[in-house]
Amino acid sequence: MSKIIARRLVAAGLLAILTGGAYAASWDERVFASHVDFDAVAAAGPSALPALIARGRELFKAKFTTADGAGRPKATQAIVPTHRKFGVNPAFSRLSGPDSDSCSGCHNDPVLGGSGDTVANVFVSEGFESAEFDSTDPSFSSERHTVALMGAGLVELLAREMTADLRAERDAAVARARQSGQDVETDLVTKGVRFGALKARADGIVDFDGLDGVDADLTVRPFSRKGVFTSLRQFTINALNIHHGMEASERYGVRWTGSHDFDESGVPDAVTPGDVSALVAFQATLPPPTVKADLPPDWREAAAEGEKQFETLGCASCHRPTMPLKSLVFTDPAPYDTAGTLRDGEVKEGISIDLSKLPFAAQLKRNDKGEWLIPLYSDLKRHLVVDAQVSALGNELQAQRFVERDVFLTPRLWGVGSTAPYGHRGDFRMLNEIIVAHGGDARFARDAYLDLPKAQRETVIAFLRSLVIETSQ
Amino acid sequence: MRGLCPLAIAAVLALATAPAFAEPQLLLSDVPVMHEEAQAAGLNQTYDGAWEFFVGGGGAAFDCDGSGFPSVFLAGGKNPANLFVNKSKRGGPLKFEEKRIDVDPRLLIGVIGAYPLDIDGDGLTDLFVLRVGENLLLKGGPNCTFTLANKEWSFGGDEGWTTSFAAEWEKGQKFPTLAIGHYVDRFAPGSPYGTCEENSLYRPQPGDRPNYSVRTPLTPGYCALSMLFTDWNRSGAPSLRVSNDRQYYRGGEEQLWRVEPGKPPKLYSRAEGWRHLSIFGMGIAEGDLDGSGFPDYALTSMGDTKIQKLDQEQSEHGEFPVYRDIAGEMGATAHIPYIGGDKRPSTGWHSEFADFNNDGLLDLFIAKGNVAQMPDFAAFDPDNLLMQQWSGKFAEAGDKAGIAENRQSRGALIADFNLDGNLDLLVVHRGAPASLFRNLGSNDGRGGVIPPGNWIEIKLAEPGPNCAAVGAHIAVKTGTRTQMRTIEVGGGDASGHSGWVHVGLGVAERAEIRVQWPDGEWSYPYRAFANQFVVVDRAKPQAEYWYPGR
Repeated sequence: MSKIIARRLVAAGLLAILTGGAYAASWDERVFASHVDFDAVAAAGPSALPALIARGRELFKAKFTTADGAGRPKATQAIVPTHRKFGVNPAFSRLSGPDSDSCSGCHNDPVLGGSGDTVANVFVSEGFESAEFDSTDPSFSSERHTVALMGAGLVELLAREMTADLRAERDAAVARARQSGQDVETDLVTKGVRFGALKARADGIVDFDGLDGVDADLTVRPFSRKGVFTSLRQFTINALNIHHGMEASERYGVRWTGSHDFDESGVPDAVTPGDVSALVAFQATLPPPTVKADLPPDWREAAAEGEKQFETLGCASCHRPTMPLKSLVFTDPAPYDTAGTLRDGEVKEGISIDLSKLPFAAQLKRNDKGEWLIPLYSDLKRHLVVDAQVSALGNELQAQRFVERDVFLTPRLWGVGSTAPYGHRGDFRMLNEIIVAHGGDARFARDAYLDLPKAQRETVIAFLRSLVIETSQ
Repeated sequence: MRGLCPLAIAAVLALATAPAFAEPQLLLSDVPVMHEEAQAAGLNQTYDGAWEFFVGGGGAAFDCDGSGFPSVFLAGGKNPANLFVNKSKRGGPLKFEEKRIDVDPRLLIGVIGAYPLDIDGDGLTDLFVLRVGENLLLKGGPNCTFTLANKEWSFGGDEGWTTSFAAEWEKGQKFPTLAIGHYVDRFAPGSPYGTCEENSLYRPQPGDRPNYSVRTPLTPGYCALSMLFTDWNRSGAPSLRVSNDRQYYRGGEEQLWRVEPGKPPKLYSRAEGWRHLSIFGMGIAEGDLDGSGFPDYALTSMGDTKIQKLDQEQSEHGEFPVYRDIAGEMGATAHIPYIGGDKRPSTGWHSEFADFNNDGLLDLFIAKGNVAQMPDFAAFDPDNLLMQQWSGKFAEAGDKAGIAENRQSRGALIADFNLDGNLDLLVVHRGAPASLFRNLGSNDGRGGVIPPGNWIEIKLAEPGPNCAAVGAHIAVKTGTRTQMRTIEVGGGDASGHSGWVHVGLGVAERAEIRVQWPDGEWSYPYRAFANQFVVVDRAKPQAEYWYPGR
C-alpha cells in the first residue's frame, strides 16, 4: 500500500489489523489492497474493534472491482461451491447475479445497512441445476425485497440463545426417555415462543412431527425472509458470492474446493476470514430501529392506541414486541455455524464485541431478571402466511432450503415505518395492504383488524409508522 | 504365506503388474489427526500365530448393546478372540471393556476374522466368525451376549482355513446367503502350492429359522482372501467378487461369480467380458468414487494396489464386467512405502474407502505389512491413508495423520467409535497389539486441530428379516453432487462393520437422502440436516434423528 494510504490507515487504527497488502498507488481502484487479519484483531481485543467496524463499514459501501475478484466467471450463486456446467458467467446479471457492486447498493434505505427500494429486489435461486436465468418467472427464482440489517447483532444473539434453549430441551427429553424407558413429550418453548413439541423415545430417536416454525436441527435461523441463515457471517458469505461474486476463502477456498480461486476470477482467496469479520462487526453493531421521537400529538395519541390494538388483535402473538436477551456479548465466530462458515474451533481465539458498550444499549429496557428487552416485533419463528382465501403472499413456486414456499419468518417490524414497500418481495406499497394480505397462521389477526372501524385501523398504521430507523444514525 | 516362498519371483511379479505407478500428488485437503489410544482405551488384543495366521487378522465392529456405539470383536489367531464393548462417550476419548463370550473357549482360538450381520432378523446383530477349523455362527443376544448357533441353524461349520466371507439377501429369501472363502488346503499333497481349497456358498433352506444345511461348492477356489457380494452393474442381483492370492494358485485369477436367485452360481467368462487378472489379492474395497452410480473397487496386493473402474465403453454401460485399472492415474498405486526409504514393494491387506476429513470425497485406507519376514518386500511398510483431492486423485497422508506405524497390519475397522462425526480407525496387527486411532479432527498446519467438514450418519431399517437393509444403496445429494454408499457384508481383510453409514458433507448444511431398498424400490427424498444421526425406516414417512445417550 502507498505511504499515503498507510498514514491514513494508521490514523484510523486500521494498520494493526490489516495484512498482506502489496504497496499500491494512492489511486488504486481496488477495495482489497490488503486484508483484515482475523488473528490480529482477536488478539488485540476491544482496542481493535473501532477499526474493525470502520473497515466493515468501508467494505459494506465498497464497490468491488475485478482486481478484487468480483464476478464469478466459473461459479454459480450456490451456497455450496458449485462450478458452472459450462460457459462463463457474465460480469453482471440483474437476475441470476452477480447483480450488484456493493452491499450498500441494496441496503441503503433510509441509511447504510437499511432496506432498499423495489428496484433493488433480488432473485434468489439455489444455483444448482438452473443457475443462470433471464426470467423473473417464480419457477426459476424467488424475488426478494431487501431486509434492513439494523439491530442485526441483537437479532443474532437472540437466535443463539433460543437455539441453545431448544437443544437443551431436546437433550433433556432424550435423557429422560432413555432413563425412564418411556416416551417423553416436551413442548419446545424459548423466550415465550413455542416451536411445537417433540417426542423422545427410549431408544434415542426423536420424533419431530410436532415441530413448528424451526428446522429439525433446532437451529433458530433469524436471517433472510425465510429464516435460512444462522448467522450474519453465514449470510455475509452467501451474499458476497451471490451478489458480487466475491468468494470467501472459508467456504470457497482450498480446504473445500482444492483451489484458491474456485470461481476462476483470477484473484486467489479474494475474501479472507478477517474481511468477513469486518463486515460482520459492522452489521452486528448497527443500532436497532427506534420509536420516532418527534411525533406530533395526534400521531402520538393514535400510535399509543394503535399499540394497544396491535396487542388486542393478536398481531403481537407473532410480532412479539420484545424478546428478552441475557447477554449482549457478540462473539465471532458464531456458536452454531457449520463447516464453510468460520467456526469456534477454527480460530485460536474469537472476536468479542460487547454490544452493551455501544450507545444504543442505553435505550434498551431491561426486565426484572436483568435481561435486555429487544424490541424487534418478531418471534423469530416461521409461519404459514397463506390460506385458501387469503393468498396474496403465496406467490412463490420454490421451497428454499427445506422451507416450504408459503412459509416465512415473522418479519421484524422494528423500523417498519422506514422500510416500505412491504412483503417478502415488496409487493405492497402501504401498511394496510400488507396487513390485509396476511393469511394462514395470521389470518385471525388480519380478520380482527378488518373488523375494526376504519379509524381504529388507522391507529394501527399510526403505531407501525412510528417504528422507524432514525436517519440521524 | 510361508517363509520358504520363492519371494524374489513374487516381488518381480508384483512390480511387473504395475502398469503405471502413481506420481505423488499434492496434498491440499485436510489431514485428519489420528491419535493412537488403544492402551488407554482398554483395548488390548494381539493377533498372532504360525503360518495359518500370517493371513487374516480381522474383526467386526457393530452395536451389540443398543447404545449406537460400535463395539468390536477381534480375532487373535493363536490367542483368544475377544469382544470389547464400547463405553466411550460422545466426542470423548475411546473406552472399551472386555466382555467374555459365553461359548467354548476353545472355539475362540484360531479365529481369523469376523463379520457382523443379523442372520435371523431378530434385530440383534449376529457374527460370522472365520476360523482355522470350524467356522462359527454366533447368535447375538441382548447386552452383547452371544450363543453358538451352528447347530440351531444347521450349519456344519464349513471346516477349513477360512479367510474370507460375504453375505447377501437373495431376492425372495428370508435369510442371507453366505459365501465362505478358503485358503490353502494344508493337507493336500504338494501343499501349499496349487492346493487352494474350493469355496462354499450356503443358501438358506426353506423354513422359519436359518438353515444352512446345504453347501454349494464354488469351484475352482484360488485361495480367496477377500469376497464381496456387489451389485457391480446395478442390476439388482449382486455378483460375488473374489480376490485371490496368486502365491498359491495355479492357473487362477480374480473371480466374479454370477449368483442369481434359484440358479447355481456361475463364473463370468471371457466371453462375458471378465478379463484375466492375477494378483496377490488380499482385500476388496468398494466405493463409488465419482458418483457414476457404478462401484469402483480397490484391490490390495503385494506391490501395487489396483483400482478397478468399469470401462463404460467396453462394458457397454454395465452389460459386461470389463474393468480398467485407474490406480496409476488416480495416484493410488501405493506400491512402495511412502516413508522410510525402503524401495521394496509393499504388501497390502485390508482396504476401505471412507471419508476421514468429511470433505465429501472418499479416501482410501490400506493396511500394510510384510507377511512375516519376506526379504524381497518392504520391512517397514506403513499403512496408507490416501486422501482424495478435488482433482479426483489421491495424495498420501498416512505419516502426517499419525498412522504410519512400524507394524505388520492386517485387518481394520473404520467406524465412528465415539460418535463425534469423525471416522476413527482400528488396525489389527500380526504379532503386535491392535492400534486404535481416534480421529481428533483436521490438522491446522500449526500443530493444532480444527473441526473437519460436515457429516451425516445414516442407519437403515426395514420390516422383515433383512432389517438392516443389506444390499441397499444410499444416495446422499448435496447441491449438484451425489454420493453413493451401499450396505454390504464382506470385503476387506477378514473385517467388517455394520451400523451407522458415514458420509462427509463438506460445507453442505443440508442433504437429501434417497434409498434404493434391497428389493430395488427407490424411496422418495428424505431431507436431513448436517451433523446429525439419521434413521431411515422404510415403514415411516419421515427420516428420524437419533441422539446418543452418553
